[in-house]
Amino acid sequence: MRNLIGYLLKRAVWMLLTLWAVYTVSFILMRSVPGNPFSGERSIPPAIERQLKARYNLDAPPLEQYWDYLVGIVTRFDLGWCMGLEDYSVNQVLAEGFPVSATLAIFALAFAIILGVTAGVISAVYRRTKADVALMFAAVLGIAIPNFVLASLAILLFVFMIQIFPAGGWGTLQQIALPAFCLGLPVAAYIARLSRTGMLEMLTKDHVRTAIAKGLPHRTVILRHVLPGALLPVVSYLGPAVARVLTGSLVLEKIFALPGMGSHFINAATQRDYTLAMGMVLTYTVILFVMNTLVDLAYAIIDPRVKLQ
Amino acid sequence: MPPEVRRGFVIVAGLFAIAAVIWAARMDHIPPADFAFQNGTDPSTLDPHRATGQPEGRIIFELFEGLLRMLPEGDPDPETGLQSLTPQPAMAERYEVSEDGKTYTFTLRDGIRWTDGTPITAHDFAWSWQRMLHPATACEYAYLISEVRLATEYNSSVVEIGDRVEVELWDRPGETPTSEANVQHFPRGTMKYGTLRGIVKPDAPELGDNATEEQREQAQLDWEDRWIYEVEVTDPGTAGDDEGETTLQRFAVSAEVAAGDETIQRMHAVLVDFKHFGGAQAIDDQTFVVHLNHSVPYFLNLVAWYPLFPVNRNCVETHGSPLWTKAENIVTNGPYKLKFRRLRDRIRAEKFSDYWRADEVSFETIDFVSLESQNTAMNMYETGQLQWVYDLPASVLEELRDRDDFHSAPKLSIYFYKLNNDVPPLDDVRVRQAISMAIDRRQIVEQVTKAGEQPAYTVVPPGIAGYKGPEGLKENVAKAQALLAEAGFPGGRGFPKMSLMYNTSERHRPIAEVIQQQLQNNLNIKLELKNMEWGSFIETIQQEKYEIARYGWVGDYPDPNTFLDLWVTGNPQSNTNWSNPEYDRLIKAASSELDPKRRMELLREAETILATDLPIIPIFFYTSAEMAKTNIVGFAPSAQDLHPLSILRYRSDDPATAPSKD
Repeated sequence: MRNLIGYLLKRAVWMLLTLWAVYTVSFILMRSVPGNPFSGERSIPPAIERQLKARYNLDAPPLEQYWDYLVGIVTRFDLGWCMGLEDYSVNQVLAEGFPVSATLAIFALAFAIILGVTAGVISAVYRRTKADVALMFAAVLGIAIPNFVLASLAILLFVFMIQIFPAGGWGTLQQIALPAFCLGLPVAAYIARLSRTGMLEMLTKDHVRTAIAKGLPHRTVILRHVLPGALLPVVSYLGPAVARVLTGSLVLEKIFALPGMGSHFINAATQRDYTLAMGMVLTYTVILFVMNTLVDLAYAIIDPRVKLQ
Repeated sequence: MPPEVRRGFVIVAGLFAIAAVIWAARMDHIPPADFAFQNGTDPSTLDPHRATGQPEGRIIFELFEGLLRMLPEGDPDPETGLQSLTPQPAMAERYEVSEDGKTYTFTLRDGIRWTDGTPITAHDFAWSWQRMLHPATACEYAYLISEVRLATEYNSSVVEIGDRVEVELWDRPGETPTSEANVQHFPRGTMKYGTLRGIVKPDAPELGDNATEEQREQAQLDWEDRWIYEVEVTDPGTAGDDEGETTLQRFAVSAEVAAGDETIQRMHAVLVDFKHFGGAQAIDDQTFVVHLNHSVPYFLNLVAWYPLFPVNRNCVETHGSPLWTKAENIVTNGPYKLKFRRLRDRIRAEKFSDYWRADEVSFETIDFVSLESQNTAMNMYETGQLQWVYDLPASVLEELRDRDDFHSAPKLSIYFYKLNNDVPPLDDVRVRQAISMAIDRRQIVEQVTKAGEQPAYTVVPPGIAGYKGPEGLKENVAKAQALLAEAGFPGGRGFPKMSLMYNTSERHRPIAEVIQQQLQNNLNIKLELKNMEWGSFIETIQQEKYEIARYGWVGDYPDPNTFLDLWVTGNPQSNTNWSNPEYDRLIKAASSELDPKRRMELLREAETILATDLPIIPIFFYTSAEMAKTNIVGFAPSAQDLHPLSILRYRSDDPATAPSKD
């Protein structure tokens, strides 16, 4: 237990350091690209630009801006007001966008794990049959096809030819189905391959052979002795999978008109919305860091061979 | 880890996963709106004085209402399909214009109310116009009403000795004499009114020669903060009168200056007294009078434009900006009120039952759906989730063109290339003409853009009542080659390689490629295409570090002036370094010409200069291409691309009127 707490503490310190580094680099990058949040097709008079800059503290010296904003984040979790979406503070944008992205990610992952593991197990158990070849071919396709192509195909198929899902928008479970499917499929494909490999490896292990030899039903052997070990690589892949689902949703949110965080990420950068872009970068950093830590932790708990350090 | 922990963990993780899926599956169901349409990018704000884009405009036009409103007049033009919209009485029941065209008197309707139930008065308009012009509001459209008396001085904080001024003391809520400023400029601090008698300036700061522009600017601002203004303050009871008790008081912005001398009061700014002497005055609760410095022929169009719509003072002052625009706070006066706003999803508006014309408003609820992707919008339209889409994918335009629900009409906007007239050889008019004449615009509109755009040889789009522009220089490759040879580049020899800059977009690149090809083939001029992301693109143009750059302009009001006054010497939007005294003179003369016919002639002369001298190269006039369900009555394209939603309704004899419920 003690090494667990120590481990978590260590990771927390690392996360803070990473966040600080990300903050610094983003801050410098944002301000060194040309343009500012207020540049538009119509140039605004200098007097007005001055007022706007004052409103967002952009008239202060850069070092002071850096410090003021950092203090605001650390002491109040206040990421400031958006410069583009002026009616919203960055915290409000996150509060509205995060549940959408999270919902999408959860469905995509749940779908990916169920489909991927099932396919992997079937492939491994019936290896070198037609089912195995077909499933693994599908998995290769799933990994290779980018999700926006998949989305177009899915829309064609399930929106226009078989009219069961709406074309886009957010608010009902039906509207989540297609994007979650497109987002989860590549991950499912990867998981299928991982779990198949894992299964095949486990099937040759001595304790599995013993179990089969002593006459346990095949199903019990697979579920109790093979699957748990075979799933370890899948668990370790969950970290990258979360990252993949989060970044993959940037494209799908646009195609399916979903109000998640992804679209803000791109727009904030192109519109020089300094505060929103910073909020997005920091949020993604935190999410990825936390998810990776959780996965490492889970791995250490379920696999007795792994030690936390 | 002991095995029990491991087993326990697996169970906990499993439960956690199930809980996550259940959490994700809960959805609050929203019934579909009566009318839903594609509204483009998510609106950046709902504040009429801060908004600039079209998506914001479409919402504000329904949530708020000005003295006048743009509404259809007559039937759509049978040839172009354009519905002409004119400014018609809205919050104002009637208006009068003085003979010299400088005074407008608006009389408000009886019984008009805000959504919070309070009556709307002329004072709301006076206050709103003042808020719009206040420098700290930073309204980008303030320049539109620069002819309103004292508007420019107020908006750009120009004061001179002898001016009647207002002084806002440093006591906004939460401010102490030494504190930082409260950025909320409404409610204001204590106001003092009087006459500016003098400005005491300390010594100007000395900066070395190697100081950067930014440092100079900063030093200048710091210095101005230390100026001491001497104002003969009028007794509060008699503010605005010429008679009355006065006392001489001193003010400064700098806390340090104010702290150093007891007689100096700390203040935010000295501005001209727009409230009492400006051109927007409430005579009584129902009469609102506007005084202009010069007559503005299109002034009524401006009054019907959303930056001049009123906002509720109490609401703004209670919640502050931008919190007052939240659905739970906002108070509006238009045909619809805000029900909820979901970021990057939709804005739901519902009918405002106390609106003065509420019985004529048909749709109970409207969804302004934030949708940027053309394909997604089209899919949603085809499956019945939307009833109107305005941004169609170019790849399917050909097929859509023949459908009954397709609408297309010329728009009041132009696509053109800016030339930097300071860069040789673009400073030579013959070179500019040669480039323009060597471009085959028909190929561009027919093979690239394909939405039925009109090739442009001049800058004012067709369709403005009472105005017919010059012909402009048509394509003529032989003439272009001759002109180029005359300018010293026979056969394009010796012509420097130029860069053509455009911002990232699916539309601009193919157009630029066609033009690159045409200039190469026709004139042997080589262009290098430079793609830039929007922010950098804008900055590069504003710093005039470009040679040729793609640009577009949408008319602010249906008058040639909105396309022509851009190119007057020194206009901050021009960035072409082009200057023509005769042109400047004509535009100026037109702005004070009272006879509309004569005025249009002056503008035409000016446009002729522009179309011959070609500081910019017009490419095409935009055309709208939109789809609206055929069971909607009252839908028609308009030149300004305005669609009043409150007049739309579903055809009542059609049983399939209601949108499909999902």
